[in-house]
Amino acid sequence: MISESQREAIKFEDVTVIIGLEVHVQLDTQSKLFCGCSTDHGADPNTQTCPVCTGQPGSLPVINQRALELSIRTGLALNCQIARYTKWDRKNYFYPDLPKGYQISQFDQPICGPGQLSVTDAKESFPPRLVNIERAHLEEDAGKSVHDDAGRAKSKIDLNRTGTPLLEIVTKPDMRSAEEAKAFLNELKLILTYVGVSDCDMQHGNLRCDGNINLHIDIDGETIATPIVEIKNLNSFRNAERALSYEAVRQFDAWQEDGKTIGDAPKRTFGWSDAKQETVPQREKEEAADYRYFPDPDLIAVTISEQQIEDIQSTIGELPPQIRERLKADYSLKQYDADVIVSQGRGVVDYFLAVADGCGSGKVASNWVSQEVLRHLGETETEIDQYPVGAEKLTELLKVVVSGDLDQTRAKDVLAEMVESGASVAEASDKLGIVKVDSSEIDSLCQQLIDENEKVVNQIKEGNDKAVGRLIGAARKINPNANPGAVKDRILAMIAGE
Amino acid sequence: MSNPVEPQQVQQVAKLARIAISEDSLAESAGQLNQILGYVQQLQAVELPADVKPFFGAIESVNAIRADENKPSTDREQILKNAPDSNGEFYQVPPVFK
Repeated sequence: MISESQREAIKFEDVTVIIGLEVHVQLDTQSKLFCGCSTDHGADPNTQTCPVCTGQPGSLPVINQRALELSIRTGLALNCQIARYTKWDRKNYFYPDLPKGYQISQFDQPICGPGQLSVTDAKESFPPRLVNIERAHLEEDAGKSVHDDAGRAKSKIDLNRTGTPLLEIVTKPDMRSAEEAKAFLNELKLILTYVGVSDCDMQHGNLRCDGNINLHIDIDGETIATPIVEIKNLNSFRNAERALSYEAVRQFDAWQEDGKTIGDAPKRTFGWSDAKQETVPQREKEEAADYRYFPDPDLIAVTISEQQIEDIQSTIGELPPQIRERLKADYSLKQYDADVIVSQGRGVVDYFLAVADGCGSGKVASNWVSQEVLRHLGETETEIDQYPVGAEKLTELLKVVVSGDLDQTRAKDVLAEMVESGASVAEASDKLGIVKVDSSEIDSLCQQLIDENEKVVNQIKEGNDKAVGRLIGAARKINPNANPGAVKDRILAMIAGE
Repeated sequence: MSNPVEPQQVQQVAKLARIAISEDSLAESAGQLNQILGYVQQLQAVELPADVKPFFGAIESVNAIRADENKPSTDREQILKNAPDSNGEFYQVPPVFK
């Protein structure tokens, strides 16, 4: 037993936080996992059920082809081994929203075996982390209970959701901070939406997350662990991060207080209270054996062929990690800028690629897409396919910017006009009275400024090149179409030549 | 038999299965369970060729799969009739949190 004084000598900074996640993803099918009832949200209660999903005697479940395919697809995207033989088991427990008294799940032969996902933080607040996936299994969802908060009225049960296909993705305890866990969830969600297996809409519960967490503490050459806590129903990534951060500190404080380690207490279940901003204990966790898993005799096993796996693999396409690398290598983007574009989804990536290839500068394309385009999408809450300026039109504009014929500020005015009226670059430029200023006009403009601003010219002559900024401002007042870059270069050259 | 079922385990399993079982009948039930398990365990004595793999169901066929298509659901009024208690919209159960 570690003494109190030994415990007090340990600081929170010295402990290792150990986090594993279980993520439930609702697969994007039309019908439920074992019957033809709709999976749509928002229907009237109990209007999307049948004898199979309500567990009536004599009904028989038959597995959904698309749910299998989406599971394999997810597994491949997460570098998982795909089972060639997979089966379903009954997980037995009683709860009012589980009409059969068991959930059809997978125990020892899940559809997806070990895999991995690498998590990198764009801001580099932690080093790249390889998170191992333990497994992913295909199971049915339960119904929804509506409880009376006061606990007096009867609880109401809606079984519309019962039988909806869920893929439960289980990680190894490989994350070392709440921040890493959040980054993992973001990357996972991004990949799932890229491969189109789920919309991952957390508000509708289409992606749900539980976290397992404890601490490893090195003390006198020995590593001790605090009791594991599972935090249930983390309904947003922000809450997941907060709950895990909070729980790590809570466990540390509890250990400082009582010294209890993993052998002294069973795994406990906590929830996250948004109101209190703390983790709160829930019912004690049943032991795994208490579910009395056994093969579901109503279902037969599924075999998956090499051909099926190859066919699905061939439709997956490039995934976020590869796209980021390509944007860095082929378009000279920084990790952060590549991440901004990739995190917006495939549509924005394709838009960026078209513009970057067209205008010949990945950097200019990246700046304009991540600033102008994404800002507009954010403000209008629209998607890239609704953006009024197509990739071709933006390319046309950026070509003029890259060639130096149009400066950034004016180009932004042009883009604003294009967004507003759907005009082409030429039409928008005409409307704004933008005309190309030829070099003799620039020369005479610069000469005029030099003649009229003796003081500034002297400052420049004394080596203060920055003073030229004032002349550029003045130039724009005289002729808004004058390219500031050209004006600056010309003035400095003319002064140096005097 | 290797691990006979104890009356206490019968109590535990009955609790998990939500079956009421009286103290008096625990020993009897344990005896019956042991008889059944003993009967099944005879199979352990069968010598199997090395190439026989474990199987998980009584039939060897695989891949009973349906296309992802919607079928009409059951009429709510009709399906709720199977429940002991409903309000016409929801099933109703005694308060879960007291």
